[in-house]
Amino acid sequence: MTAFLEVDHVDKVFPLANGGRYIALKNIHLEIKQGEFVCLLGHSGCGKSTLLNIVAGLDKPTQGGIILENKQVKEPGPDRMVVFQNYSLLPWKTVRQNIALAVNQVYGNKSTKERRAIVEEHINMVNLRQAADKRPVELSGGMKQRVAIARALAIRPKLLLLDEPFGALDALTRGSLQEQLMKICQEHKLTCLMVTHDADEALLLADRIVMLTNGPESHVGQIINVPIPRPRQRLEVVNHPSYYALRGDIVYFLNQQKKAKKRQVKASAIIAGNGLEKINLEIGFIPLTDCAPLVVAKEKGLFAKHGLTQVNLVREPSWKAIAEGVTSGRLDAAQMVAGMPLSLSLGMGNQPPSPTVTALTLSRNGNAITLSKKFYEQGVRTLADFKAAITQESDRVHTLGMVHPSSMHNLMLRYWLASGGIDPDLDVKLTVIPPPQMVANLKAGNIDGYCVGEPWNSRAVYENLGFVIATDLDIWQSHLEKVLGVKEEWANKYPEAHIALVKALMEACEYCDDRRHREEILQLICQPNYVGSAPEYTRPGFIDPYNRGTNEPPEMLLEYNQFYVNKTNCPSRVEGLWILVQMARWGIVPFPRNWIDILDRVRRNDVYSEAARQLNLPGLEPERTSFQLSDGSVFSPDNPIEYLQGLKIKREIKIEEVEIDSLVVSL
Amino acid sequence: MTANLDNSVKKPNFFTSLIKNPPRKILAPLCAILFILTLWQVLCSGEDANLPSPIETFQDTSDLIFDPFFDNGGTDKGLFWQILASLQRVAIGYTLAAVVGIGLGILIGSNAFVYDAVDPIFQVLRTVPPLAWLPIALAAFQEANPSAIFVIFITAIWPIIINTTVGVQQIPQDYKNVAKVLRLSGTKYFWEIMFPAAVPYIFSGLRIGIGLSWLAIVAAEMLVGGVGIGFFIWDSYNSSQLSEIIVALIYVGIVGLILDRLVAWIASVVVPSEQQQ
Repeated sequence: MTAFLEVDHVDKVFPLANGGRYIALKNIHLEIKQGEFVCLLGHSGCGKSTLLNIVAGLDKPTQGGIILENKQVKEPGPDRMVVFQNYSLLPWKTVRQNIALAVNQVYGNKSTKERRAIVEEHINMVNLRQAADKRPVELSGGMKQRVAIARALAIRPKLLLLDEPFGALDALTRGSLQEQLMKICQEHKLTCLMVTHDADEALLLADRIVMLTNGPESHVGQIINVPIPRPRQRLEVVNHPSYYALRGDIVYFLNQQKKAKKRQVKASAIIAGNGLEKINLEIGFIPLTDCAPLVVAKEKGLFAKHGLTQVNLVREPSWKAIAEGVTSGRLDAAQMVAGMPLSLSLGMGNQPPSPTVTALTLSRNGNAITLSKKFYEQGVRTLADFKAAITQESDRVHTLGMVHPSSMHNLMLRYWLASGGIDPDLDVKLTVIPPPQMVANLKAGNIDGYCVGEPWNSRAVYENLGFVIATDLDIWQSHLEKVLGVKEEWANKYPEAHIALVKALMEACEYCDDRRHREEILQLICQPNYVGSAPEYTRPGFIDPYNRGTNEPPEMLLEYNQFYVNKTNCPSRVEGLWILVQMARWGIVPFPRNWIDILDRVRRNDVYSEAARQLNLPGLEPERTSFQLSDGSVFSPDNPIEYLQGLKIKREIKIEEVEIDSLVVSL
Repeated sequence: MTANLDNSVKKPNFFTSLIKNPPRKILAPLCAILFILTLWQVLCSGEDANLPSPIETFQDTSDLIFDPFFDNGGTDKGLFWQILASLQRVAIGYTLAAVVGIGLGILIGSNAFVYDAVDPIFQVLRTVPPLAWLPIALAAFQEANPSAIFVIFITAIWPIIINTTVGVQQIPQDYKNVAKVLRLSGTKYFWEIMFPAAVPYIFSGLRIGIGLSWLAIVAAEMLVGGVGIGFFIWDSYNSSQLSEIIVALIYVGIVGLILDRLVAWIASVVVPSEQQQ
């Protein structure tokens, strides 16, 4: 079936007074299904109203066109009725006359009586019986907008276009009008296209949110599907597990657009110096205890010591933002979850492959699986208990949070669940939530538990919201956790800066693993511009004995946050293979038949060894051997495909040749 | 009984309070008038004064003031008839100007080409003083009365045309969009959107027009003669009846004010308050 409405590669160019041209919209392509509610979101001046006017036919596209039900839109018409931002009621007509003007015009073939009945029906629908004979000047803003909506709905448009209809209203009126609109749309199965700049409004009303980038040459930056079921209630929407993640995405997008505008003013120059190609680096991090090496390298002057004198640590809201930042070149380097360089290089989730490399593992361990306290009260102590608990409540969907599909949290949580006979896709539901938002979601009851790095487990324990059922030491002792990720193109362009960065961070890691420094590091990372957490719940595991929030006494876990010892830092290829295998197991990426090439390419042992050599540190890759996980299973680097096929709980495994030549970056 | 009592008690109270605490809006103008009259009286009470003092004026013209309705035939008529004759001319000329002006204004306002074509011409013509049209009108019509009416017409029409044009050009895009989306036809667009939207502008044109008409009629009548307040003034001057001139001037002023307020009142009734400027 073809789309109900198709915005077909629309460009809009305005001629300027000085003879120049302003390209407002560039290559906008959008398809809308019948009955769908789509919001256009963007900063003011991004051209979203222009796009709406083009759909309405009030404005003509310079290129491309609008197709409604297989017919090209050439002029405005009542089948695409618009609810304008400033109501556009005729001030010399009463409420009834304003609606009647539209009804009489569109239903010219109906009898006077029928038309009057339609007008009265719609006056009642928006509850304006009392004001039917008043002129717009006597109405409040909310009432005027209701008249405009009634006028639009009375003529049964195929497509309802709304241009920031609630922008000028107070919050209370806006809320009730949003609910009325939602109800009417639901009842009449209307197809709507609405322009707004309010993320919450878009999440409440829309099935899909189309976000436009800032002009000039505004285009569709991102489309977000809102999977919240209908009919929606405001509170249910706000409490939906994906609400904050979606909202975070939207706010992040808008902030990026704002920053992009500023950046256009000061294009970040490449500053070379100290024998390095680039010394001004933007490095992204996520507020977690294991961002400590980055903080230490910055605060203790280790970046500067190795010539990187202008390093800026950028606190990012989510791992997705980190991935976007490195891919787009906004960030030079970033703290990444272990699987991210691989998943970006392979093109996870139908993204184009963006070759990304890692030359350093920043930390090991430091994760835990927290479950809601209610399970503890039900007597859940082990994985088997948890399985029993969720089987008992089989009519309820149990949702667990993790931070990114390619993160160790996701892979280990899945591994752990599967080892207990729980299918992580069928028996429970996993959802992506940025680390700092986990506790809030657990508290709101949106999720039943999560796997995340510290201090977000200890915080739930500290607030008595949850208990730690397993730390990662219980699953895979000394697994790799965070890595340093840079774009392959960047690594090839600035090889000396890359080595300097690795050296600075290796020294920082060494500093972090000296337990005498831990108190000092705690003070550093608890600063608000870094993790910003309270020391009370940042200490457990990092310095103090680890409290699981159970009856057991806190236990000293010396390897819980491991930054340097036992060859922590080597980007070992065998571990990379484990990640590839696990990601293939859950259908996150296909397993690359040419996995040896991929691993060589992504996990840059050469850079690591060179950095180690320059620091007079041992920089050899660990032996290429099998290793055993805590459940007793052995992972052998020689037969990954055999291993995959031997697994009981898994998705359909795809094995593909990933065209490595396509990864070659033109220099 | 009680009602009567109440009334008899209340009324004196109201008036006494008005006298005791008169509103400033009434008191202030009264003071000003008194001051001007006194000044006038002082300045004009000398032996060799060229103009009559207020008391003299009142004494000279008391029958003119108290009996505006006499009619001795010819041009010897009471002030009421004089003013009525002038008003008739204004009514005809102004009505013609309103009809033609609004029509032309809408045409010019809704068509950019016509606007560009005629706007420079109108800008020149509108600055021509009303009386400068009179010789041409006399030459064309060969008669006094139609010429006077033409002067009124040509005086009043420019502000009406220009304001109507602006009104049509300034119809908010919102209303035009509503019309476009609903696909209103030409006549429907005119009556439902264009005309009501331009009405406030049209009325400000009409209000300027009526003021100018009344200004022009006095001058025009002085030249063309016949019954009318303008000729009455000129006639009084020729017969050295200065007191009559002063009374006539006051009448002209009051009638002008009434005309202006009348158009303003009609506008306030016709134009919705949201649109009033």
